[in-house]
This record gives sequence, structure tokens and C-alpha cells, in this order.
Amino acid sequence: MATATLPTPTTTAAAQRTGTRTIKVEIKRQATPDAAARTEKFEIPYRPGMNITSVLGEIAAEPITADGRETTAIAYDANCLEEICGSCAMLINGKARMACSALVDKLREGDEPITLAPLSKFPVVRDLAVDRSVLFQNLKAVKAWVPIDGSYELGPAPRQFPQIQEQRYPLSNCISCTICMEVCPQFNDSTNFVGAATIAQVKLFNMDPSGAVLKEERLRALAGDGGVQECGMAQNCVAACPKQLPLIEAISDVSRDVVFQQVKDLFAR
Amino acid sequence: MATTPRIIVVGGGLAGLSSVIKIAEAGGKVDLFSIVPVKRSHSVCAQGGINAAKNLKGEGDDVLKHFDDTVYGGDFLANQTPIKNMTAMGPAIIDLLDRMGVPFNRTPEGLLDFRRFGGTLYHRTAFAGATTGQQLLYALDEQVRRHESEGKVTKYEGWEFLSAVLDDNGVCRGISAMDLRSMEVRTFPADAIILCTGGIGAIFGKSTNSVVCTGSAQAALYQQGAYYANGEFIQVHPTAIPGEDKLRLMSESARGEGGRVWVPRDKNDKRVAKSIPEGERWYFLEEWYPKYGNLVPRDVATRAIHKIVYEHGMGIDGQPMVYLDLTHIDRATLNRKLEGILEIYEKFVGDDPRDVPMKIFPGMHYTMGGLWVDFNQMTNIPGVFAAGEADYSIHGANRLGANSLLSCIYGGFVAGPNAMNYAKALPAQAGDGGHSAEFSRQTQLNQQLLSSTGSENPFKLWRELGDTMTRHATIIRYNAGLAEADAKIVELQSRYKNLNLSDKSQWANTSFAFARQLANMLELSRVVVQGAACRDESRGAHYKPDFPERNDAQFLKTTKVSYVDHAPRIEWEDVDISHIQPRPRNYAATA
Amino acid sequence: MAAAAPVAPPDLASSRGVKPLRAGQGHSFLWRRLHSLSGIVPIGAFLIEHIVSNFEALNGPLAYAQQVKFLNGLPLVRVLEWAFIFIPLLFHAGYGLFITFRGRANVNVYPWASNWMYLTQRVTGIIALAYIIQHVWRQRFSGVSLPEHPGAAFHKVQVELSNPWMLAIYVIAMIATCWHFAYGIWLFSVKWGITPGDRARKRFGYVCAAVGTGLCALGLAGMWAFVSPKYANAPADVMPEQPAGVVLPAPSVAPPNSTNPSQPGRVAPE
Ligand SMILES: Cc1cc2nc3c(=O)[nH]c(=O)nc-3n(C[C@H](O)[C@H](O)[C@H](O)COP(=O)(O)OP(=O)(O)OC[C@H]3O[C@@H](n4cnc5c(N)ncnc54)[C@H](O)[C@@H]3O)c2cc1C
Ligand code: HEM
Ligand code: HEM
Ligand code: SF4
Ligand code: F3S
Ligand code: FES
Repeated sequence: MATATLPTPTTTAAAQRTGTRTIKVEIKRQATPDAAARTEKFEIPYRPGMNITSVLGEIAAEPITADGRETTAIAYDANCLEEICGSCAMLINGKARMACSALVDKLREGDEPITLAPLSKFPVVRDLAVDRSVLFQNLKAVKAWVPIDGSYELGPAPRQFPQIQEQRYPLSNCISCTICMEVCPQFNDSTNFVGAATIAQVKLFNMDPSGAVLKEERLRALAGDGGVQECGMAQNCVAACPKQLPLIEAISDVSRDVVFQQVKDLFAR
Repeated sequence: MATTPRIIVVGGGLAGLSSVIKIAEAGGKVDLFSIVPVKRSHSVCAQGGINAAKNLKGEGDDVLKHFDDTVYGGDFLANQTPIKNMTAMGPAIIDLLDRMGVPFNRTPEGLLDFRRFGGTLYHRTAFAGATTGQQLLYALDEQVRRHESEGKVTKYEGWEFLSAVLDDNGVCRGISAMDLRSMEVRTFPADAIILCTGGIGAIFGKSTNSVVCTGSAQAALYQQGAYYANGEFIQVHPTAIPGEDKLRLMSESARGEGGRVWVPRDKNDKRVAKSIPEGERWYFLEEWYPKYGNLVPRDVATRAIHKIVYEHGMGIDGQPMVYLDLTHIDRATLNRKLEGILEIYEKFVGDDPRDVPMKIFPGMHYTMGGLWVDFNQMTNIPGVFAAGEADYSIHGANRLGANSLLSCIYGGFVAGPNAMNYAKALPAQAGDGGHSAEFSRQTQLNQQLLSSTGSENPFKLWRELGDTMTRHATIIRYNAGLAEADAKIVELQSRYKNLNLSDKSQWANTSFAFARQLANMLELSRVVVQGAACRDESRGAHYKPDFPERNDAQFLKTTKVSYVDHAPRIEWEDVDISHIQPRPRNYAATA
Repeated sequence: MAAAAPVAPPDLASSRGVKPLRAGQGHSFLWRRLHSLSGIVPIGAFLIEHIVSNFEALNGPLAYAQQVKFLNGLPLVRVLEWAFIFIPLLFHAGYGLFITFRGRANVNVYPWASNWMYLTQRVTGIIALAYIIQHVWRQRFSGVSLPEHPGAAFHKVQVELSNPWMLAIYVIAMIATCWHFAYGIWLFSVKWGITPGDRARKRFGYVCAAVGTGLCALGLAGMWAFVSPKYANAPADVMPEQPAGVVLPAPSVAPPNSTNPSQPGRVAPE
């Protein structure tokens, strides 16, 4: 690119092909939910500051494998590109991570290829895109909402001390990325465990002064098959959560509340 | 007609969800369409907060002051009646959100806390940590999930709106949409539809917006006869972090705490920033504006940086970037005051801004323009409503910080009930209401695209579009540049006909979906460019050095663009100034 | 009015992958809590008792015999044994295996300490199971019947531990069981919400580690009694069958030609 002309926001991949440094990427691909998986290798011109979503964007603009074969753009989910929408979770070098906050420079050692694969615990839609709707169904199952009377004017909400807000806020930061579920050894199709995220949301809504009206229902729901009891305290969830939710705290607190609720129900019902 | 009106809401951001809530509450049935699961909509990105004059700080704030600030902030281009209604509804909206469980920050007494934002003298912005948009969206999402579990709402997540279904009288009878997995096109019946599809950042290539903010839905409606208004008004944020895939916001507090903006005096200087001696750095803001230095107002900073890069060609490494330097401030101070935002930089750039100067550049941030709507949020197509960033109302020539979240919820709250009322009075459709015609039009479009055998890659065309738009139609606009941009878009449109879809499969084909959006983006880009070309004045975010003054006599008018003969046609409409007389807008005097 | 009827969105997740929570349905919560509880009481309690009893062996074969005899003399001992040891253990072990096989350990990908502990809890459980099966069979249900001949206990165990392989198995099992129990107490406290707060959990972790180490030391010390030269070649039965009507207590003063001054009771082989 001539320096005399005005700089462009994005230097094209083609212009960079002449450059020396490249990034090797191996991507596990699958055309449909039932198709067999295969791996495709790519070599992409390196630019400083690249993240995984920009690598995937680069492939979309030039869908050619490392051995020069034409292929298709990779299917993957992404929206905000700033780790707040929760779309882009995938396995990067084998580990569940958000692609938009995964920087190439921090992923590579020497010339090792970066590997990308879809999350392993969710049905693959295509390539790196998976179906994570089970989390949203779980949120429905535990009634993760405040049942307000209506959206018309009813004056201010009950007062809430900052201490309560400070406990609720971190839980409300969950971006539904499902990484805590992916990394959990107990989250699989034989336990059908709900996973840490849903349990944390139960705590969040039980702590809300008005949301607490459904507390008992939520606790009973969580005692169902696949409920909080399935947690084996592997604590991968808390280590992997990109939003650092206090998940162990939540699981422990909710577990206790569920026990109390069950005991109460045993005698009262 | 129908006992239970059936409304389609397109878009699950704040605007879409708030209209869904109103309709479900009023007993309507809603089909909610969104490309991404609604909880992942762009609204999650908003950080700062939401405005409402609750006056909980004893400052004597009230809704009329909020009204005035908004009108003034928008440089008098916005119709005043909706703004007045919105600001009046503000306090009730905050209370409602609070009741829904939004973890707003609190005072020790347990009341809502408010912070101060740009463009006002009052503490008027309620906030939930640094993720207000996320928290608000979740609260609405949860309410909608509740209605969904009660059977009042059906979600079509992963479906893309393609067009409205219009009957012979041009009345909307539903939508056509495509399932982004099976790529199947279908039409869905509705008595009214509400479009809440957000901003158009993607036509500028990289922006602070999310990936789905392409404006494709608005552009499709525009091509079906809807007016697009004030398209030339977009807001650019002065300090964004240029990333390889997007621009991420860097809070202005970095400059507030003493950050200095500079570039190397020698444009070919390849040394690392820290090793460049003081004398060889050009602190251009401090030099050009000795009085305010790095703390010049947003638009001034934005224009100066733009000038350095695009007119002087002095961006770092030939890229559109300048340094925002905090390294002269000691670590402890930085950690105390700016830790949160420095972590964002560290996370996405990989450098520690305590050691290495940050690289920043102004970034396309917000779409003031949008679908033209009346005071009931209805477009000129009967039965098509719009709300949120996708409509043009409220913000005029410039948006005040933290006013957008409010306007989205307000817009939804107005559009929802009005759509219900409209639907109840709607006469039954004749024949099939245009469904089969629209269905075959859309399938044909798909067939055309799939059978195209050219050599152009849609993503590359998009990059060229973004490059052109960013260069000519963002911060500083010259008529010559705009003409060049328009010609470039026309060129891209002809190259688009020569598209090569590497992927012709009919399952979760992202390049196919993107190619469809691209066609719409190109049409919309022309609206922006031509609107800017026609507006020979400077107002709010629209700045032309050749016409540096606001010109109320000629341009206190809404730009209304319609699609005639495959090109934008511009009309003007008077602005509602029934409450506040326009006065000069000059923040520098009070800053 | 409709040209096309609305369709339900296709639902990939409902046909494959992890199923949603069965809100409020099923009984797995109860079983899981019983499993958790059974690990502490009665099994954990028994483990402590058993290790403390075995520690008596350090006081020599006779003391050990008395301990065994005392335990077997408890009222309704057979009922107690089944109700508080065998059945809970069978349940805990069985359900524990069920839990184990439904988990998908992934320390290869996420090699974090707590994840290792998760895996270790399963491995030590299986070790304990394998050990207990052979141990209970060989010590309780085969060979000399100790409830009837408590005096033979020391010798029986000594013979067992004289086999170095057996000794290794016992050492490993002792460590594994104590580990399993100690971490089990911690797990129990977290799952029942007894230790609220990260700091409390961390501190209680140290307490559990101390309990586990102490218990294990006690257990290994008890085993040392059987292999140490001190009591080498203990008599096959230190309390031969008494004539009917004769009731212990054994003499509290060492008999005249006792070889072990600290050991009251008979030591000379018959
Ligand atoms: C970084 C950043 C920070 C911000 N901070 C603030 C702030 O502090 N305060 C403030 O007031 N404002 C802020 N804003 C602005 C504010 O976030 C947005 O204006 C607002 O969220 C827009 O909401 P919306 O409901 O109109 O649309 P969006 O939230 O953008 O939602 C659009 C919806 O439409 C759907 N959609 C789009 N196209 C289609 C289609 N063709 N078919 C089907 N569905 C479609 C999408 O899936 C999505 O659900 C910020 C913006 C950015 C970028
Ligand atoms: C120091 C090592 C050990 C020694 C010397 C030892 C010895 C014995 C003996 C002698 C018996 C038979 C008692 C009787 O029949 O009354 C016994 C029974 C038993 N042991 Fe151990 N044991 C040891 C470790 C363990 C461990 C680690 C466990 C694991 C929990 C265990 C579990 C059992 C059980 C369940 C029984 C049957 C209990 C009963 O019948 O009352 N033992 N042990
Ligand atoms: C005999 C074979 C055994 C097996 C297969 C087994 C298996 C398990 C498993 C898999 C767990 C973890 C449960 C979870 O994390 O959800 C567990 C927990 C536990 N086990 Fe065992 N175990 C066995 C024996 C024992 C013994 C002998 C003891 C007591 C000394 C014991 C005490 C505990 C305790 C206290 C817990 C913690 C309970 C909880 O998880 O809440 N287990 N066991
Ligand atoms: S708890 Fe954390 S890891 Fe789990 S879904 Fe939420 S943000 Fe993701
Ligand atoms: S990883 Fe899984 S086992 Fe529990 S502690 Fe976290 S949910
Ligand atoms: S794209 Fe939103 S989290 Fe990565």
C-alpha cells in the first residue's frame, strides 16, 4: 500500500498476502447438524492486534484454505465483538472462550496453529455455531424474572440498600455465553444439569425485593431432575466465566435454600 | 376486525422488547423476530446510563429542563412534541425499570443514584455499574420471557426480516422473513408491524455498533416506499479503540484524567511510542486549542483527530489512529481512577495503557436519522411502525449521551399501544393481502443471488463501502468527497451484480444472508451521502468546513428521502418548533 | 386472513443435546442429598470410629482384641452394623458409582485444582469401594469369625499385612479413603450451604485438610502396630474361647511371666 494515498481502515487481505508473517488456523467444520466433522486449515496474513473474530472475518473475505482450495466462509455467532452479548463462545485451542476477546498474539506459541472448534456440549448448527437455547429454556423453567403487576405507572420500586445492589449486580452481569456449562463435567446429556448460570439467576431474582415473591417456586423448580444437586463442585464454571460471576457463592447459597425449602415442603405439604 | 390483534415486532433491542411488553399487556398476540437471540441485541453494549429528570439530588432538575437540553443538544432539528412527551415519561420509565429489578446503583438511603453526563448541568443519568444497557435489556428480556411462557409472545430468533407484505392499497399485512438456519423464506400475517432494528453502523465498515446493525431492514422498507429521514445525521465518538474487527468505546474520562493526544511529528516514524522524544511528538490538540488543550469538546476533538489522519496523513503507521497517552500519570492514580476502562483496553488490545500509549480514533457510534415516523411512531406506510434507533425522531442533529436508551423505551411504549389501536380499527384484507406476491418476489431475489456467478466477494465489497463512507461521510464532509462517495457506491452496486457466492448451500449460509443485507446497505449509504450533500450547513454532528454555520432559514428542516427510480429523492419537511424557539448552540461558552 | 400460517421456530435443542431442567420433577434431589448425608453420617462417623479403634492396636494385640470385642458386644450389634454401616455404604457406593459414570471429567482440558479434586473424589471413591469389598470379605466374612473370636483379630490382620502387596493396598486405601472423606466434608459443607462466603469456604478447606491428614496419620499409625517388629508373630487368638459362664474382664495386672510389661493379659502362646 502506497503511503502517499490516504490510509484505509482495513488493509485488504490480498495486499497483505505479500507480507511475511502468517497465522495458521485449524477449524473444525461441520456443514449441517448431521454431517460429519472435518478440519480445514487456513493461513492468514498476520496483523498486530488481531482477535479470533477478525481472523474469521478475514477467512470470509478470502475463503481459501492453506493448500489453496476454495471453500466457504465459516459459520459462527458473534454480535457485539466486545464480550458483552455472549454470542461468540467456542473452543479455542481446546478451551471454551469468547472469540471476540481472544487475542491472536496471546494464543500462539511460535508457529503452532490455533485450533477452533464448536462448543462440545451443544448441538452444532453449522461449523462453529451451536444451539444454546437450552439456557433460555432453563431461565423460563426457574421463572427468572420479577413478576410486576404491569408496565403502567405504579410509582417507585421498594427501596434497596446499596449492599443488596452490590450483591445483585455481579450476578446480573451474566451474558448467557454458556461457557460455565460447557466446562462443567456435570453438564451433559445424562445428567441434564441446568448449569451454574441458571442457578446464579435464581439467586439474583430471589434477592430482589419484589422478585422474591416467586422464591419458593424457583427453589422447588431447582430441586427437579437436573437441578442444583447435580453440581459436583468442580468449580470450572467460576474459573472460566468471562464475566467473573461469583458462581460458587451462588450455588452454595441456592443449595442451602433449596434444602430448607424441601424440608419445609416435606412437613408443610 | 380480528378479536385478538396480531402484531409483529421486528428487533429485540430495548425498543422492540418494550413494545412487545405493551402489546402483550394489552391482550395482543406478538410474534417477535430477531436475527440474534434477543438477549444478545446491540442494546447490551450501552454502558453509561439512562436519562430521566427525577431530581433526586436536590438540584431543581425537572422534565422541562431535560426537554430543553435534548432539543438544544439536537441543534433544534428534532420535532419538539415527541421529545416533550418522552422527557415527561422519563421518571416513570426509570421507576418501571427499577420495579423490573434492574440493579441500578443506589444511594446509602436505598434510593436511585444519578450521575452527570454530557450536555446537561444536572445529575440526571441513572446507571447500573458500567453496563446499564445490558441491565436494561435483560430486565425487558425477562418480562418478555414471562409473557412468552404465558403464550402471549412467540419468538422467532434467528429469523431475518426481509420486507413488509403490502396489500393492493399499500397497507401492511405482514412481513416476509428468512430462517437463517434453513434459509427458508416465509411470509407471516400481521395486522401491524413495528420495526425496531437499531442503528446502521455497519455501512461505515467498522463502528462501535454490533455486527447486526446493518440497517438492512430499514433500507428494505425504504425501498418499499417508506421515508428515511435525516439519514446524514450520525454521531461519531471521538475516542474509540480501533480494533481489527470493530471500534470499541474508550470513555472520555481518559482525557478528563489528563490523557494527552499526540502523533509523531514525522509521519514515517516507525519507533515505538515511548522511545519517541518529547520534542518529536506533536500534541496537536494542545497546540491548536491552547485554552482547552486535550479537553476540547467532543466534536472539536473528533474533527481535529480526523484532520490529522485524513488531511495531514499523519496517522500512526499510516493507519487511522493517534496516541492517547496516559503513561505520564503514575500507576496508582491510574488504577484508582480509571482501572475499569484501562482493563477494557488491555483485554482487547493486549497492551497495558499504563505503560504504552493507547491508540485511538473517532468511531461511527450512533444513528440519529432513521425511518420517518409520525408522533404515533407510524411510518408513512399504513400499519408499519418504527421505534428506537431505527426511527429518526427525538435526537435531531445530535444525540445527548444517555438519551438513547430512554428514547428506545419511550418509542416502544408509544408504538406498541398505537399499533394495537391501529390493528383494532383495521378493515379485513382483500384476497391474500399480497402475501403470495411478496413471497415470490423474495424467493426470486434469493434465486438470483444464488445463481450469480461473478467474481466479487460480498465481504470485500463491504470493506470498500465502509472505507468510502468513513472517509467521506463521517466527521468532516466536503461536497466533492460526498460526490466521490456516491459514485463509489454506484460502482459497488454494479459490481454487486457480479457477486460470487462461494457458499451456495441452503443451511446456515452466513455469506448468503450477508450478501442480501449488503444490497440494502448500499441503498442506504446513498441516502446518507446524498442527504449530507444536500445539507449545505453545519448542524450538530453534521459538519461542512465550506458551510461552517447553522442555516435555519434554509435547513431547519427534516430531510425526507424516498426511493424513486432506484435512487434517493430528497424532500424537506418543517420541524415542529412549537415549544422552544431555536437559539444558537454553543457549548464552548459554558464549558 | 392469513396467507401463510405461522410456523413454530425449528428447535434443534429439543431433539439433541442437554435437556432443559425438569422443574420440580423427579426425586434425584432427595437421593443426591441422602448420598451426601450418608457420606458424613453414618459412613464418615464409622470411618472415624474404625480408625480410632484400629489405633488401639498400637497398645498391643490384647487391647485390640478388647476393642473388637467391645464393639461386637454392643447391643443389637448386627442390626447396627447393617443399618449404619453396610446398607448406607452400599447405597453411598452404588449411588456414588452412578454419579461417577454420569460425569464427564475434563481435567485434560481444564487442569485446575478444583477440577482435579472433582476427579480425585471419584477415583478415591472407587479405590475405597474396591478396597472395602475385599477388606470386608476377607476380614469380616471369611476366615476366623472375629465377632465370635475377637482375640484373633490382631493376628488375622497381621497375617494379612505381612503380605507386602496387601500392605501397599492398605496404605493406598487408607490415604484414598481419608482424602475422600476429608474433601467430602468440605463438599458437604458447600452443598448444604453451611460455609457461606468464599473466605469461610477457604478456611474450612484448611480445617478439612487438617482433619483428613490427622485421620490418615492415625490410620497409618494403627497399621504400623501390625507390621512393626514390636508385636511380631502375635498369637492367633489372644482371647481363646472362655468356658461358659466365665466373663471377662481380663486381668488388669500383668501376669508374672509376661513378656510385655505394658500389656496386661495373657501373651504366651498356648
Ligand atoms: C458502545 C455503545 C455505548 C452506548 N452507550 C449508551 C448509553 O450509555 N446511553 C444511551 O442512552 N445510549 C447508549 N448507546 C446507544 C444505544 O445503545 C442504542 O441506541 C440502543 O441500544 C438501540 O436500541 P434498539 O432497540 O433501537 O436496537 P438494538 O438494540 O440495536 O436492537 C436491534 C434489534 O433488531 C434486530 N434486527 C436487526 N435487523 C433485523 C432484521 N433484518 N430482521 C430481524 N431482526 C433484526 C436485532 O437482532 C436486534 O434484536 C450506546 C451505543 C453504543 C454502540
Ligand atoms: C488400618 C487399617 C484397617 C484395619 C486394620 C482394619 C481392620 C478391620 C477388621 C479387623 C475388621 C473386621 C471387624 C469385625 O469383623 O468386627 C474390619 C471391618 C471393616 N472395615 Fe476395616 N480396617 C482398616 C481399614 C479400613 C478402611 C480404610 C475402611 C474403609 C472405610 C474399612 C472398612 C471396614 C468395614 C466397612 C468393615 C466391616 C465393618 C463391620 O463389620 O462392622 N476398614 N476392618
Ligand atoms: C465405597 C465407595 C464410594 C464411592 C464410589 C463414593 C463416591 C462418592 C462420590 C462420587 C462422591 C461425590 C458426590 C458429588 O460430588 O456429587 C462422594 C462424596 C462423598 N463421599 Fe463417597 N464414595 C465412596 C465411599 C465413601 C466413604 C467410605 C466415605 C466416608 C468415609 C465417603 C464419604 C463421602 C462424603 C462425605 C462425600 C461428600 C458428600 C457430598 O458430595 O455432598 N464416601 N462419594
Ligand atoms: S455465568 Fe458466566 S460463564 Fe456462565 S453463562 Fe453467565 S457469563 Fe457465561
Ligand atoms: S463446574 Fe460444574 S460441577 Fe458445579 S461448581 Fe461449577 S457447576
Ligand atoms: S461477539 Fe458478543 S461476546 Fe463476543
